[in-house]
Amino acid sequence: MERSPLLRQVAHQRQTLFDEGLLDEQFVRLEELQDRTNPNFVEEIVTTYYQDTSRLILNIEQELERRPLDFGRLDGYMYQFNGSSTSFGAKKVKAECSLFREYCRAGNGEGCMRTFQQLKREYATLKRKLEAYFQLARQARLTQTASPPG
Amino acid sequence: MGMSGGSAEGNDKSEGQSFSCKNKLTALVVDNGGVCRVIQTALLRSYGVETEAVETGEAEVELIASGATFNLIIIEMLLPVLNGPETARQIRTMGAQSMILGITAFFDERDQQEFLAAGADEFIEKPLSPEVVIPIIRELHN
Repeated sequence: MERSPLLRQVAHQRQTLFDEGLLDEQFVRLEELQDRTNPNFVEEIVTTYYQDTSRLILNIEQELERRPLDFGRLDGYMYQFNGSSTSFGAKKVKAECSLFREYCRAGNGEGCMRTFQQLKREYATLKRKLEAYFQLARQARLTQTASPPG
Repeated sequence: MGMSGGSAEGNDKSEGQSFSCKNKLTALVVDNGGVCRVIQTALLRSYGVETEAVETGEAEVELIASGATFNLIIIEMLLPVLNGPETARQIRTMGAQSMILGITAFFDERDQQEFLAAGADEFIEKPLSPEVVIPIIRELHN
């Protein structure tokens, strides 16, 4: 059966997330866990990921305002952030987490702050693109339901 | 270690083979990260492992103290208050014979040594993957 233009668009948008390095193969594993008994699994994971990490972002922002910087606490928050991002497949975010931790260990506050800004940019970009992708995927599902083959 | 015998085929999605556990294995996930907990639980359940999840080492210790047993326990390294290795140590002291898998967001050899010395059987870096889970399930069935 030939794919509708909308489905092709969904597939293309999904592929872009990988081609742009925003997601890695871990995200594919999450998609493989989605099935009839758990049809919204991936979207639920996305929601949980952003709930978990938005709290951590707030914590890190507050810590970065303190003087002197507590690199131990910052490292701890970023450890958690990395764990969530790794399990989710957020490739670029994960890379910034690693860099941030290196700066923490070196006691480099400037490096931490700079990296954190970049992390937030990557994080926001991923969120925006995932939201667009899921919106399009939902639209495609509705279209398929409304116009069954035959 | 572990409870069940019997053969097992597996739900190895990455290899495209059929895999279903004939004798149910049980697992406990201990992770303070919500998304990690959900993903690890879903992965284990996809292979037919009956899986529960808790957020803290203290909750795990309470569960074991209440008599619950699991074939496999996956414990995050940096849990708040009672960390992963200390949690493992306490449940080993209580006589738990589960396979214990320590898991971390950033691999560190000292953490590995600490976790193994505390009674963990293996120590891996996240994410938990089919490549790790399938051999463990096979080993538990054997």
